[in-house]
Amino acid sequence: MTVAAGIGYALVALGPSLSLFVSVISRKPFLILTVLSSTLLWLVSLIILSGLWRPFLPLKANVWWPYALLVVTSVCFQEGLRFLFWKVYKRLEDVLDSFADRISRPRLFLTDKLQIALAGGLGHGVAHAVFFCLSLLTPAFGPATFYVERCSKVPFFLISAIIALAFVTIHTFSMVIAFEGYAKGNRVDQVIVPVIHLAAGMLTLVNFASEGCVIGVPLLYLVASLTLVHCGKMVWQRLLETRNQSSASR
Amino acid sequence: MDSSSILDSLGVEIIGVMAPVSICMFLVVLLTYSLSVTSDPQIRTAANLIYIENPSDSATVKLEGSLLNAIVFVVLVAAVTFILVLLFYYNFTNFLKHYMRFSAFFVLGTMGGAIFLSIIQHFSIPVDSVTCFILLFNFTILGTLSVFAGGIPIVVRQCYMVVMGIVVAAWFTKLPEWTTWFILVALALYDLVAVLAPGGPLKLLVELASSRDEELPAMVYEARPTVSSGNQGRNRGSSLRALVGGAAGGVSDSGSVELQAVRNHDANQLGRGNSHNLDYNAVEVRDIDNVDGHGNEDRDVVERSPVVAISSEHSTAVGTRGNIEDRDTVMDEEMSPLVELMGWGDNREEPRGLEESDNVVDISNRGIKLGLGDFIFYSVLVGRAAMYDLMTVYACYLAIISGLGCTLILLAVYNRALPALPISIMLGVVFYFLTRLLMEPFVVGMTTNLMMF
Repeated sequence: MTVAAGIGYALVALGPSLSLFVSVISRKPFLILTVLSSTLLWLVSLIILSGLWRPFLPLKANVWWPYALLVVTSVCFQEGLRFLFWKVYKRLEDVLDSFADRISRPRLFLTDKLQIALAGGLGHGVAHAVFFCLSLLTPAFGPATFYVERCSKVPFFLISAIIALAFVTIHTFSMVIAFEGYAKGNRVDQVIVPVIHLAAGMLTLVNFASEGCVIGVPLLYLVASLTLVHCGKMVWQRLLETRNQSSASR
Repeated sequence: MDSSSILDSLGVEIIGVMAPVSICMFLVVLLTYSLSVTSDPQIRTAANLIYIENPSDSATVKLEGSLLNAIVFVVLVAAVTFILVLLFYYNFTNFLKHYMRFSAFFVLGTMGGAIFLSIIQHFSIPVDSVTCFILLFNFTILGTLSVFAGGIPIVVRQCYMVVMGIVVAAWFTKLPEWTTWFILVALALYDLVAVLAPGGPLKLLVELASSRDEELPAMVYEARPTVSSGNQGRNRGSSLRALVGGAAGGVSDSGSVELQAVRNHDANQLGRGNSHNLDYNAVEVRDIDNVDGHGNEDRDVVERSPVVAISSEHSTAVGTRGNIEDRDTVMDEEMSPLVELMGWGDNREEPRGLEESDNVVDISNRGIKLGLGDFIFYSVLVGRAAMYDLMTVYACYLAIISGLGCTLILLAVYNRALPALPISIMLGVVFYFLTRLLMEPFVVGMTTNLMMF
């Protein structure tokens, strides 16, 4: 509606990630590089997906199952890429550890690995927010606003910013869960991440119904807070474990 | 934690270069959006010599015309670079330095002034003309001083490099669309040839400069990582090189060339031309880069490697608008579309006291230099993407940053001057067209239905 409103919408979607970036990630240059490379990976995956789906677009606006198919294929593809990302990260971890040995510095701590996973997740989240929310915000800086008929109570920009915020949270913390799950071979963690992603994607399909966003968005936030809680519990347990280990070994 | 992790300082040099590039691109995008000056097709510049683009022409006409424009532009740039090589070869270094100061003054004064004036007009800032003139004059003079004089803090010089990049890039974005894309691609190819091919002008410049142990008068952005004294300064600068070397399967450690310290020439060569753009960072440096733990006494000195500072001239002809139509003011700027590691190969000049076993005091600067031309053309690409959509801006930004990262890694591996334009520009162009054609309908179709993943 004005510049202030436009900036407000942008901050709704990206505010927490900005504060996360400034407080945690900007301290260590390597984490900034991790954020950039994971954003690039997400962008590439999006381009590939849109290349695959281009012949079928534009989809008809009143049938919901092509969209469901779209969401399912996209989520599967991105989860596959997340596994690939993990593989690359494993190799990078080995390189970093051998480098640390060579210059006689300590190897990567657990907090380092968690921070790298967080940075990776943040990259995905920021990419999602930028491509799905911010890029459409340009008209919001002008004098008017826009409503979608499916969700007519809230301006389109605001609702897309709110949804983007939920997704940013989901992406950021599910990367931490996923990395720890792959590292420990923990089946529960490995499976829960694609499930969460798919569930979140499917929940946005609820928005297809008229006034569906009244139900869809709170449920989405439920999923996001579940992700947060699970990630927090997992990280806390791991930190306690490591501290007990190191104090036991002394 | 009692001992710090390696993650604290890894990658500082890369961020030191990427941060100003990002700031430059961001400000150019802001300028493009807020001023939103449409490209005026009536200006005839060096980039428009053959064909002035008209939006109503057919595609083939535009294609041919833009291609011709791009070729002519590249030929002009190559010609001016050869002139620069000749001047440098015949030791006209002082002339070059004065010329560069003049061009900095001109760029900041006129082009920068025009941008300031349009900002003031656009936002209706209440300022009178006398104040404006005085402020602009001060700003320009400080910028001119910071280009080559010693004693100016490095931060000021870095800021002015970025500002000059912004000003020139903002002017370049006024070019018409097809011409811009063709010029970008043509310049990327030219850069590749000029730096790597045996007869290329920039390669000749590099070799001349390193054979004479002189620094080229060039407008480059130097990223100086802060090297603190004591143990912490030890492994910082070399981490990139050692990391890449290790990852690449073992760089030969003995006598290997690492990221190194620059010797400050002024103290030793009183007869030479004085101005060069090295600051004094007196740092107590113990054995930097003692990667293999050899601990040899003579390895207390950081190993150097041949330096490469490049400058090339890009002639930018900009016509002044307003009442002086069609006047070409050819403006040359030395910009270097190159990136290189700093370090001077001068094992011949033994510095005093550097062979002492410990408490080595060295005047050392380490870092990566990126030419101003790179800033400008990256920002032009992103600015042109900004004229379409924010999605393309972000995609091009990521493409350019990743291209820059690849170039820096290649720099650490090969350790010689490398062209910084080709990879980034090619990736940027590819991502722009892919985003515009493929991603846009996909994403917009989904989000307007509030469907995301």
